[in-house]
Amino acid sequence: MSPPLLSVEHLDVVYDGTISALSDVSLTVDEGQVVAVLGSNGAGKTSLLRAVSRALGSYGGAVTGGTVRFAGADLAGLDTAAVVARGLVQVPEGRRVFRDLTVEENLRAGGYTVRDARARAQARDRVFDLFPILAERRDQPGGLLSGGQQQMLAMGRALMVSPRLLLLDEPSLGLAPLLVDQIGEIITEINRQGTAVLLIEQNAVMGLRVADAASVLEVGRVTAAGSAAELAASDEVQERYLGVAVPVVATEPVLDQPAIPTAEPPQRLRVEGLTVRFGGITALSEVSFTVEPGTVHALIGPNGAGKSTLVNVLGGAYRATEGTVHYGDEELTALPAHRVAGLGVARTFQNISLALEDTVEDNLLVGRHRLMRAGVVSGAWRTPRVRREEREHRETVAGIAELLGIGHLLRTPVHTLAYGDRKRVEMGRALAARPSLLLLDEPVAGMTHGESQDMADTIRQVRRDLGLSIVLVEHDMPFVMGLAEQVTVLDFGKKIAEGTPAQVQRDPEVVRAYLGAAAA
Amino acid sequence: MTYFLAQVLNGLSYGLVLSLIAAGFAIVFTSTGVLNFAHGSVVLLGAYLVAVLHPTLGFWPSLLVGMAGSALVGVAINALLVRHLADQNAGTAAILMLGVDIVLLTELTRRIGNQVLTLGAPWGASVVRFGDVSLPTGRVVAAGVTVVAFAGLWYLFARTDLGVGMRAAAADGPTASLMGIRLTRTAATGWALAGVLAAVAGVFLTSFPAPGVAPTVALSAFAAIPAWVLGGFDSVPGAVVGGLVIGLTSALVTGYEGDLERFVGTGFGEVAPYVVMIVVLLVRPSGLLGSKEAVRV
Repeated sequence: MSPPLLSVEHLDVVYDGTISALSDVSLTVDEGQVVAVLGSNGAGKTSLLRAVSRALGSYGGAVTGGTVRFAGADLAGLDTAAVVARGLVQVPEGRRVFRDLTVEENLRAGGYTVRDARARAQARDRVFDLFPILAERRDQPGGLLSGGQQQMLAMGRALMVSPRLLLLDEPSLGLAPLLVDQIGEIITEINRQGTAVLLIEQNAVMGLRVADAASVLEVGRVTAAGSAAELAASDEVQERYLGVAVPVVATEPVLDQPAIPTAEPPQRLRVEGLTVRFGGITALSEVSFTVEPGTVHALIGPNGAGKSTLVNVLGGAYRATEGTVHYGDEELTALPAHRVAGLGVARTFQNISLALEDTVEDNLLVGRHRLMRAGVVSGAWRTPRVRREEREHRETVAGIAELLGIGHLLRTPVHTLAYGDRKRVEMGRALAARPSLLLLDEPVAGMTHGESQDMADTIRQVRRDLGLSIVLVEHDMPFVMGLAEQVTVLDFGKKIAEGTPAQVQRDPEVVRAYLGAAAA
Repeated sequence: MTYFLAQVLNGLSYGLVLSLIAAGFAIVFTSTGVLNFAHGSVVLLGAYLVAVLHPTLGFWPSLLVGMAGSALVGVAINALLVRHLADQNAGTAAILMLGVDIVLLTELTRRIGNQVLTLGAPWGASVVRFGDVSLPTGRVVAAGVTVVAFAGLWYLFARTDLGVGMRAAAADGPTASLMGIRLTRTAATGWALAGVLAAVAGVFLTSFPAPGVAPTVALSAFAAIPAWVLGGFDSVPGAVVGGLVIGLTSALVTGYEGDLERFVGTGFGEVAPYVVMIVVLLVRPSGLLGSKEAVRV
């Protein structure tokens, strides 16, 4: 048997000299194989790719043990450019296309190391064959492409060096199911043309479908490995990553008295004829819906449907071009963002916006801002009243942290926390403002099935204990189905369906626009 | 009318020289993220090298040496100092560059002393006449050279692998390096280019009607800063536009100083570029052609 194309043996990776990201990781990729590495956030998947592509250095990481061999040669001591020249190239997570460069220039940058003009022209033709849409849009800036097309461009850019091994970091992240299928087919086709692929995926369904073999990585260690079929059949993978064993929980409106009362009871939120335009682009077009007090209302839709735009209008960050939003009797759309918060509306952010150097407690206290009474002068003198107020705020914040399951992390700086915990801090900060309406912008984006189930439980608990209304923006369909009482579906800025989760799930329009061919 | 036309031509040709310097600022900023406050001294260095070498080498060869020398100093500043900063952030690098500027300028001042060195440029103090309007020959040559230089830069950034690689590295360094683009190399190229442009600009800044090479040239090179900021920190086309705007502004304000004196007093020509810069930034915070920092909430 010939030696493997890539062999990683007993690899240890450490960041900043102390934080261990990988320990004793081994795996191989044979010529012509597709190998998937599965695992949740923080498992060390990206560190593994960076170690292989020799890009760790620019992130403060280093290989402290073990070897990475490619085509028989040890990669230690080579830089990324040298590795690329040997035919090993990485597509980074999140596409990272050069937004201001045209499609063609993006590809040109990808083929930077190829000196032979003919080889380069061939590679480009092959990329255009594989992705005809890129040929069509070759003169447009990369930033104008849709998410799926950007993923294609990112892959095409890497294929410009005609690699022997392609490293893909989360190619399906943030894409609608239809596009995920398409990306999967493309990976298979690239592999058929003779390129081996090492694929990192949180979407285990997709990973296992295209891969021949797979490894499961958890907290920096390989916990399972084998052929894709074996792993797909194993109970652990089924439960943790495929969500097979977890039944969908049907929610009933909960009528319990809230344990911690909100400052004001929740009001009805009425969105009427809301239109938002940016320059010539219409992001939202005449969207109307109502959120009943005390319910969980989900907004779903594929990428670019206008979900985040809507949340930004509700939270006061964007202005409505036309239409109105009323919360109770107040017109939200007429108020600046800080006044919107004063009505008891709080939000979280999709890409987490926390003060990383500060502790969890301090981040949560920021949320109390609108409720703090002490002024600068009395604060400076630390009068007894100020101290009493501060103690009360800290107690409230501690209670919220407890509710979210991060009570033990109060004194920990946010930058050391895992992604899932940061998401909770983000939610806690919004809750600290004592809202009666909570806007959650993609609370489980980038989480595995198990993690998002935990988050769903937390959200249920928050609603029950605090008795507030929640507007939930998501594109993780199953997550929303088990949680919301009402669902509004957006596509290309228009409302295409509305109803209970069960009604929406059956709506043929939704199935076509959202779930893609696989579900139809 | 003739007077007005003369001021406009004067302003445009001066503006082109400023835009050479502003482009140097912009290129260094995009390729390494450094606000290069030592750029003025590098401009002076280029002119100084030409001034001391032309008696022995002749003007053209010494111009080449001046360009190479400035480029080399730029590359060395980056390789020896900027890359080794323990704390890689724009603020620290900017302070470092202020320090480098002081060191370079002090040394050049020590060498030049109180003299005003001549360049030995072939155009000397001659003047070209266009009908009733006359313009120093040096300025006409400067305009031509600048146009050629910017055409060259356009070709580099739009048509060559190196240029596309540099733009990719500027847009997203870590991703570009995954493509095998060596960031140390694109950075060095950026500094070298800025050095070459600085030397060329230095020669034209010290040509007639300027008296010659003196330490104050480093200061007049700073007149390019409003041009750079106005055009947008990271845009070479912005540097050209910014240079022209600032050149015209200061030429017209200085040219019509007598009429303006009642309102703003004398010497407003030196202030006017900054006034224009502030007004533009109030309306367009990222400059005329600079890229906006897009933040998604």
